[in-house]
Amino acid sequence: MISILSSTPVSPVSPITNVLPLSMVLFVSLVKEAWEDWKRFQNDKTINNTSVDVLQDQKWETVSWKNLQVGDIVKVKQDGFFPADLLFLASTNADGVCYVETANLDGETNLKIRKALEKTWDYLTPEKAFEFKGEVQCEQPNNSLYTFTGNLIIEKQTLPLSPNQLLLRGCSLRNTEYIIGAVVFTGHETKVMMNSMNVPSKRSTLERKLDRLILTLFVVLFCMCLIGAIGSGVFLDRKYFFLGLRGPALSADMNPSNRFVVALLNMFTLITLYSPIIPISLYVSVEMIKFIQSTQYINNDLHMYHVETNTPALARTSNLNEELGQVEYIFSDKTGTLTRNLMEFFKCSIGGELYGTGVTEIEMGEAQRNGIKVDEVHKSSNTVREKGFNFDDARLMRGAWRNEPNPDMCKEFFRCLAICHTVLPEGEETPEKIRYQAASPDEAALVAAAKNFGFFFYRRTPTLIYVRESHVEKMGKVQDVPYEILNVLEFNSTRKRQSVVCRYPDGRLVLYCKGADTVIYERLAEGNNDLKKTSREHLEQYGAAGLRTLCLAYRDLCSDTYENWNEKFIQAKSSLRDREKKLDEVAELIEKDLVLIGCTAIEDKLQEGVPTCIETLARAGIKIWVLTGDKMETAINIAYACKLINNDMKQFIISSETDDIREVESRGDQVEIARYMRDAVKNQLKKCHDDAQNYLRSLSPPKLALVIDGKCLMYALDPSLRVMLLNLSLNCTSVVCCRVSPLQKAQVTSLVKKGARKITLSIGDGANDVSMIQAAHVGVGISGLEGMQAVMASDFAIAQFRFLTDLLLVHGRWSYLRICKVVTYFFYKNLTFTLTQFWYTFQTGFSGQRFYDDWFQSLYNVIFTALPVIMVGLFDKDVSASLSKKYPELYKEGIRNTFFKWRVVATLAFFALYQSLIVYNFVIASSTNSVDSSGKMFGLWDVSTMAFNCIVVTVNLRLLMMCDTITRWHHISVGGSILAWFMFILVYSGVYTPRGIYSVFYVLISTVYFYTTLLVVPIVALFGDFLFQGVQRWFFPYDYQIVQEMHRHEPDSSSAGLLEIGNQLTPDEARSFAVAQLPREKSKHTGFAFDSPGYESFFASQAGVLAPQKPWDVARRASMRSRAKTPRKN
Amino acid sequence: MMNSNATSSSSGVAGSTEISTPRRNSKRPKYSKFTQQELPACKPILTPGWVISAFMLVSIVFIPIGVASLFASRDVVEIVDRYETACIPPASKSHKVEYIQSSEDKTCNRTLRVLKRMKQPIYVYYQLDNFYQNHRRYVKSRSDEQLKYVRSENDTSACKPEDNNGLSIVPCGLIAWSLFNDTYSFSRNNQQLTVNKKGISWKSDREHKFGEKVYPKNFQNGKLIGGAHLNSSIPLSEQEDLIVWMRTAALPTFRKLYGKIEVDLQENELIQVAVENNYNTYSFNGKKKLVLSTTTWLGGKNDFLGIAYLTVGGLSFFLSMAFTVVYLAKPRRLGDSSYLSWNRNPGGH
Repeated sequence: MISILSSTPVSPVSPITNVLPLSMVLFVSLVKEAWEDWKRFQNDKTINNTSVDVLQDQKWETVSWKNLQVGDIVKVKQDGFFPADLLFLASTNADGVCYVETANLDGETNLKIRKALEKTWDYLTPEKAFEFKGEVQCEQPNNSLYTFTGNLIIEKQTLPLSPNQLLLRGCSLRNTEYIIGAVVFTGHETKVMMNSMNVPSKRSTLERKLDRLILTLFVVLFCMCLIGAIGSGVFLDRKYFFLGLRGPALSADMNPSNRFVVALLNMFTLITLYSPIIPISLYVSVEMIKFIQSTQYINNDLHMYHVETNTPALARTSNLNEELGQVEYIFSDKTGTLTRNLMEFFKCSIGGELYGTGVTEIEMGEAQRNGIKVDEVHKSSNTVREKGFNFDDARLMRGAWRNEPNPDMCKEFFRCLAICHTVLPEGEETPEKIRYQAASPDEAALVAAAKNFGFFFYRRTPTLIYVRESHVEKMGKVQDVPYEILNVLEFNSTRKRQSVVCRYPDGRLVLYCKGADTVIYERLAEGNNDLKKTSREHLEQYGAAGLRTLCLAYRDLCSDTYENWNEKFIQAKSSLRDREKKLDEVAELIEKDLVLIGCTAIEDKLQEGVPTCIETLARAGIKIWVLTGDKMETAINIAYACKLINNDMKQFIISSETDDIREVESRGDQVEIARYMRDAVKNQLKKCHDDAQNYLRSLSPPKLALVIDGKCLMYALDPSLRVMLLNLSLNCTSVVCCRVSPLQKAQVTSLVKKGARKITLSIGDGANDVSMIQAAHVGVGISGLEGMQAVMASDFAIAQFRFLTDLLLVHGRWSYLRICKVVTYFFYKNLTFTLTQFWYTFQTGFSGQRFYDDWFQSLYNVIFTALPVIMVGLFDKDVSASLSKKYPELYKEGIRNTFFKWRVVATLAFFALYQSLIVYNFVIASSTNSVDSSGKMFGLWDVSTMAFNCIVVTVNLRLLMMCDTITRWHHISVGGSILAWFMFILVYSGVYTPRGIYSVFYVLISTVYFYTTLLVVPIVALFGDFLFQGVQRWFFPYDYQIVQEMHRHEPDSSSAGLLEIGNQLTPDEARSFAVAQLPREKSKHTGFAFDSPGYESFFASQAGVLAPQKPWDVARRASMRSRAKTPRKN
Repeated sequence: MMNSNATSSSSGVAGSTEISTPRRNSKRPKYSKFTQQELPACKPILTPGWVISAFMLVSIVFIPIGVASLFASRDVVEIVDRYETACIPPASKSHKVEYIQSSEDKTCNRTLRVLKRMKQPIYVYYQLDNFYQNHRRYVKSRSDEQLKYVRSENDTSACKPEDNNGLSIVPCGLIAWSLFNDTYSFSRNNQQLTVNKKGISWKSDREHKFGEKVYPKNFQNGKLIGGAHLNSSIPLSEQEDLIVWMRTAALPTFRKLYGKIEVDLQENELIQVAVENNYNTYSFNGKKKLVLSTTTWLGGKNDFLGIAYLTVGGLSFFLSMAFTVVYLAKPRRLGDSSYLSWNRNPGGH
């Protein structure tokens, strides 16, 4: 707009000088946008060109994803991703069943079962599938992952469709050779994509605040212009005959008989004159800085390069760098982000004896905090490490358990592990080659543990479990023992335990039971309190160490008791109504008088460095919320493991898993359930909220933690309760939301983002995190694994959770500091410059005469002051990277936005005002008197060139004053800018132009006056800043300044350390501690968490549909299939 | 540019110590001091010592300069005589504008007393007040091309309303049109003092901005006479009064060099000045002053600069003393970790 104005006759400056910088600015930003778009396009292309088999003319043709159409019949092979939402028609498995992994959608890794309609089972071969003619009627595309209603009309029969026949895009096929499906929804209509919200174009908060600053500047500009305009209207008078205000051709802007028009037109003149107050080049400079920051720094940081997956960090947008320096809330997914989704058998306690010498990450951190320096214990050479087993204790290995105090107990322990489960063995029946297929990794870990202890479970038939037992009768003897499985009492969330009744070959009847400590302890036989007590202590110890615990127990049964019970069991099993409930009741009858064997501790393997990272982030004032699709117990357990929750915290748990809610649910009236739930949630929330307020009012308020599950969250997010939820959760140090859907994750994120106006960051790895990643201010995706959706939606992609430390504390913080400095500096330099122009207006009869030459004005921003500030944006750092991480508290300055408050801006504006007055008045003083011994006088252009000269020097020196580090690039750029000005003016005023500026500079440098002024003006102008900075640092130091001083004698942490340790963290973190004896922490939390196959699939439970098939049956069938297949191969 | 530079200096180190030798498809970022943000840098910390010594340095440098320039300024002898009111005959006091526009003889005699011995050269200035030579309309009402080149004679588009009156005016524009036309002649003891009017303009103006072959044409031929007439037989490059006038002043109060008196004037001598009071400043209530001044290496009388230097130097000295006292009385140990906000109020925030 300014450019347009400048081309009109009212302008005091020539148009080209205004248009040129503007077009430069526009051009640079255009190029940048184009480049980013092109990159995005490349990414989309890769996905779109993934190929899939589509049925065409009775043959499978390979077609890329983008060409897929609704109605196509596709074939998806094992481990393949579904390219669209498919209607499941047929599978190579018997019974039209297939297994899908939904980790990308909800983070759960246990396999889900999908079953095709019986009618369509046969369409497996291309020839057959070609005959398939059907019509699908279904609901409109929507974002609910857990519902689907529709009809398949085939051969004039209408068959109802349920979510069970729908294979969602983003899931992958497991344990099934291939399946045939018909495409129902493609592309943006798929449920996953519907769940991902519109990709919002994200701008950083700082930038939004910058907009407000610019707006303020516009207001200031307007005020300045208004003052000038009114002045000009009042000033203009015919009495100033030398202005020649006469004649018919007098233009309107100089016609004293119509003062209003004069003022109005002068307003526009002044707008062009004062337009440099708006820093146009600010945006492009900031973008350039951010672009280099992200492409050169973040993408190339060796600290954030993950060797194992060969993944460097990736900044997918350069808009949000400084946002990383102000994050206050982190929303993290659990599986794949915090944990590796790897369960490892880690420790156990048998008969009151602790086994396993491993040290968890938590314990290591604990030891470090307590200053225990334990010699690094080298892992004993006999440590067996394989998937699911990370146990280090020779006392139990290779039959050594026979020499332990209670070998019988050990034997029972191992048998319980080997028998009481629902795992399917797969592959060759040797310990090395066998693979266990379990619905949960915990189970697989337990069975693998039994294998390593010498109880190798290798075959399952519908009625038998074969275990190859070693060292049982005497050392070294190996025998195959078939155990007859009589009953399986399944796991579910109410029972929290699982039992198997088996018959030994010798006829002994035993019930093995494993489950949560609470439920097992209730059902133990009287006596043996010592064992119970020690085991309880062990459980607590494990819990505190962040391990997942299970209690093992057994009961010998006499055949009479069993027969009696079995009758009831069969009855219950065949009952038609309330079968579940009846089965539970029957199970109660036999699961009693148990004998405790011991307990197991499984490590839900955290990603490397997660607890340390979380602790660092917490010290940095960042609050971390875990949002997971997992169960409450698992989530709480991980929260413990990550040190998000500890026992000193007051926990609020809002759960839908209470007895009364369950009772209401069992009645099945949806309206009633909703009403009841709402009330229940409201009451719980209110209670928690009041409690929280009470706690906070107390003298030493404890830290609070909130745990809430998805169902409750659904009601708590209701507008009426939302405020209370927000208040409560903001008071909590950590919040864990479990069993939440992807959309809820996004809702929680935006609750904090919008409700609390805090800066949020979401981090996740799967498709289920996409909406959350997009909802947050900053989205971070975990890259390096298979799924790409999270990364594609994210703003930054890192390989490991722990890299957040670097991303936030180093890159984010620096970026924030730098951008703040750049923005405030731009503001300052343009204000200073324009104000001198403004003061001059008062001396020119408000006529809008420019003080500076056109070219001075337009090159001021693009040449004379541009480069140094970019150097600051690139190189400035207050403290080094390692100190940033050593003092995470420094990050709080970003959260509080210390460096871009209005107060900071006002201070700067004050100094800009001061400096402009100094420069203007000192220079103007020179024009009233002769300036050299020859008695000649300065004219307008001499004065203005001198003023500009002083401004360029002052402003550039001011930049050096606000640098915390000065590299040679600073020197070069600052020196270069000042030099560029001198070069420019030497040439510009040296070459003849029909302008006043010609030869002015040569006149100036011939006078002594010029040099004395040049010396005094910048120093006086910067005097105030210097004093302010000195006093501020001396008496009110910022934290970073103290840290600078503390480490002022240390050389910058050089790259040497980094290179030596390759990709390790700082040497401090990389040290591996082994702690033999840990301070025992008393804990109520025992860390029970167990993913069991009995638990209904999350999909089904959300939709209120019961999974029609019990996984146990499925497992059995699957095992038969695998057995059936083996001989065929042979 | 920076990138490559930094890489070359450090790549040798990087290659030898790396544990995982980069495979061909490794995405491991290359090490460079630039990308790892480890460029060597000095980290200035504004410690109290620095603050005190900086202030000290400023005072040490500034006070002598201030004293020197103040002395220089005090050496200057300046005589200022405001004459625009005094030069109106009492009869015309009520209608000054009509008087000045009339064609009668407007010579007016003034007597100046030399307060202090004035060494030659003595510069004669006229000073106008409330005259907006810096008004936007005024500043641009000239044609620099026309002043320099004969061929640009008709290049008068910027000069409105004084562009042409049938023929192009040379020099055109309001600036030239309003050329100052008061004249002064000085005498001492009835003996004429010659005023040298050569070399009163900047050399560059004379030689490069005003053409040697450009002669005034058609100048002051309009109905309204703005100011002085020009001798149309002298080229513009020698019309030094015009050249001085055309270097427009920055402020509405300005002095312009009129000439030089190249003899010493003794203390208490009386100088008679015959002023031809032609120029109209009465319509806009502008003052007219005649100034006689000597100069030093720093130019004319200018206490401002000296005072500024002295003030800043003195203030710096005072501040450095004050800081020293504070530093001795209540020192803050550098890098005292108890000043860290999280140590000051634990549990806060």
